[in-house]
Amino acid sequence: MTSISLGGAVLRATVSTALLVSLMSASAMGASVDLSKWSPEYVRSIAGTQDFDTAADCNKITPLDYKGRLTFWYQGVFEGDPDSLREYYKEFFATFRKTYPNIQLEEQGLTYNDLLDKFRTALLGNAAPMAVRLQILGGVEFASKGYLQPLKPEDIGYSTQDFWPGAMKAVTWDGVSYGIPTNNETMAFIWNADIFKRAGLDPDKAPATWEDVVKYSKQIHDKLNVSGYGLVARKNAGNTPYRFMPQLWAYGGSVFDETSPDPTYKEVELASPQSKAALQASYDMYVRDKSVPVSALTNQQADNQPLFLAGQLGMMVSHPSDYDVMLDLQKKATATDKEKAQTVIDNMRYGLIPTGPDGKRAVVFGGSNIHILKPEYVEGGKVDEPAAKAIACMWSSPEWSLKLAYVGSNPGNLNGFKTKWMKDRLEKIKFLDVTTSMLPYGIPFPALPQSPEIMNIIVPDMLQNALTGAMTVDQAADDAAKKVKELMEGGL
Amino acid sequence: MTILTGKADVSTVQRHHKTGVLRRIWDHRFDYAYVLPSIAVMLIVIAYPIYYTIELSFFNTPPGLQLRDKIFVGINNYTSILTSPVFWTVTKNTLIWTVGSTFISFVLGFACALALHRDFAGRAILRAILIIPWVISAVAASYIWKWIYHSDFGVIGAVLVGLGLADRPPNFIDNVDTVLPSLIVVNIWREFPFAMIMMMAGLQTVPDQLLRAAKVDGANAWQRFWHVTFPHVRNVSTVTILLLAVANFNSFIIPWIMTGGGPSNASHIWITHIYELAFGRQRWGVASAYSVLLFMILMSFGYFYVRALSSNDQKGEAE
Repeated sequence: MTSISLGGAVLRATVSTALLVSLMSASAMGASVDLSKWSPEYVRSIAGTQDFDTAADCNKITPLDYKGRLTFWYQGVFEGDPDSLREYYKEFFATFRKTYPNIQLEEQGLTYNDLLDKFRTALLGNAAPMAVRLQILGGVEFASKGYLQPLKPEDIGYSTQDFWPGAMKAVTWDGVSYGIPTNNETMAFIWNADIFKRAGLDPDKAPATWEDVVKYSKQIHDKLNVSGYGLVARKNAGNTPYRFMPQLWAYGGSVFDETSPDPTYKEVELASPQSKAALQASYDMYVRDKSVPVSALTNQQADNQPLFLAGQLGMMVSHPSDYDVMLDLQKKATATDKEKAQTVIDNMRYGLIPTGPDGKRAVVFGGSNIHILKPEYVEGGKVDEPAAKAIACMWSSPEWSLKLAYVGSNPGNLNGFKTKWMKDRLEKIKFLDVTTSMLPYGIPFPALPQSPEIMNIIVPDMLQNALTGAMTVDQAADDAAKKVKELMEGGL
Repeated sequence: MTILTGKADVSTVQRHHKTGVLRRIWDHRFDYAYVLPSIAVMLIVIAYPIYYTIELSFFNTPPGLQLRDKIFVGINNYTSILTSPVFWTVTKNTLIWTVGSTFISFVLGFACALALHRDFAGRAILRAILIIPWVISAVAASYIWKWIYHSDFGVIGAVLVGLGLADRPPNFIDNVDTVLPSLIVVNIWREFPFAMIMMMAGLQTVPDQLLRAAKVDGANAWQRFWHVTFPHVRNVSTVTILLLAVANFNSFIIPWIMTGGGPSNASHIWITHIYELAFGRQRWGVASAYSVLLFMILMSFGYFYVRALSSNDQKGEAE
């Protein structure tokens, strides 16, 4: 038996306690979440483990009695979002006004597709707002042009480690950070189990590969005369790249080398055999099998939602919020439509996005970021920095980055996963596990000023050229690769 | 001597004339003062943007640079446009769109005006109904028509499938061959009431006694229309056609909302293409060059419009 002296025991106990506390601070109680352990179980295990006092945290950055004025634009709710999201936005602005009663806030919400155009135009006339919350695709474009002030999490009281590395990459230009991620999400694969069953497919199993998606889509269409997969190929709409890029990456294709850990964006890969194979899969569904909505070329995801609810669509790629959207839409339905919609909701299933032929799984790492403008581009030539930092601090806090992403996304601030609201969310939101499980597969869009044009115009153009027969699959991919190359070289 | 005297006389007349003009301006100084604010506003909101657009058309504006860092490229933007295959596609679409919409809207509007010019029971109600498409917001109309045409669950498709006339809903706007004609139909639906109103006003000027005299002389309906009615409404027809053509050349809402210029640029017309170049792709220089070309084309329409109005005025003065 080993004898331990009292002094030694106290010493050992002190050291062990210190070690335990230090470990906890590096994981559950500390600044960051351990991303290497990411799994639905891990997310559940950290939910509700820490409390945060947002007002007290932001008070350290901008005192709560600060008097100022702030103009703020943000990418807000749109027609495809559930009503509950509107309520959270209202609640946030009411809370901000209550927390900072002396800041005169003039906010303006714009939809995803309108915000970039309006913001670009405002910048040309030096009439931009002081702060803006942009989609993840936009930050680098404006940072590279010098419109934004350098802004990193440390400037508003957080740590860079509190945010997803992919999200930080999307706000970094030339090694400098220009924004704070507010929310980050990855989509999942949704299917109607009843349609699967009636089409002779396993109702509880998502297609494992994109080739299976093509096969299932055809089977559903041939047997039931409804659309199989909810293809989206509209131009100038964020929905298109969010649904096509996972397919492109899964097949091993890419625009540049954005799927690698340290992309250089030098070589254009859109015309590679892998990229063409991904495009061919869309072609097979739209042209060869005619198993997807014909309206895919002019549709957005918001148009697929009612189709799905009406039992006219078997599968689609979307957010966890689509479950809530279906509930909202179902409430508006009448008579037998209401029952039909309920059947669809009961049969709604979520799964991981399918892999490519080599087992590669990928999804767009989406989200939004808050930026602060340089004074010379702002109406009146002044930026109220403390006020701008106050809203950045509050929106990207663990509490609000979680609440504002409650239904449709995930907190940009990883500490949001530790809050009690996350615990509540895990209990209330169906299929949340699936979408959070997709986060590690997330790939950010290329962090280039040309990205919005590539994703919103060139990629959809490529799809449309192939799907309308204006070009062959090969020609469409070659044409898109040529356009990207010309764009990168500064051509028309 | 006479010649010298003559010269002196001419210069004296000119001096007197100049004095007269200045005098007249002075006499009307308050009138000028009243219109000065309007002229100043027009200079700011019309003349300066035109000048700036022309200036910008000689610069390149790559996506990574601010507009103030634009690069001078001379006439490169113009040569790039004219050598771009998209330019010819878009120009062809614009011509089909403008000519098709203008011609059919005018013919339909004129036909309705002729029908409604006669006195019959329910004329006022019918006139009010026919004006509805014109007063509906173009944005709302575009969304409604998008649903009517929808390739999967549009109203037309549902009716045709329901009646057993088609196996699947017809593809109106997701097909490169049918998208433009489908949009032209929407445009005609929206603007034929304008032509109808204009022509109804024009028909009021046709003297009844002339028509009656022609009838007494044995002229048939077509002869009365061609030899009596049409000459009287020729000028209002010209003005209507020019106004429709300018409006159609400048159309944006219907094609942008319904298809965004797609699929595969099949419904891109000049204005939607310029918008996409400027706001979607930030090619302000190229978009400006397009705008300058469009401005020149529209100015030629403007010239004919003013000429048509002037001939009306001269005719009125002569009468």
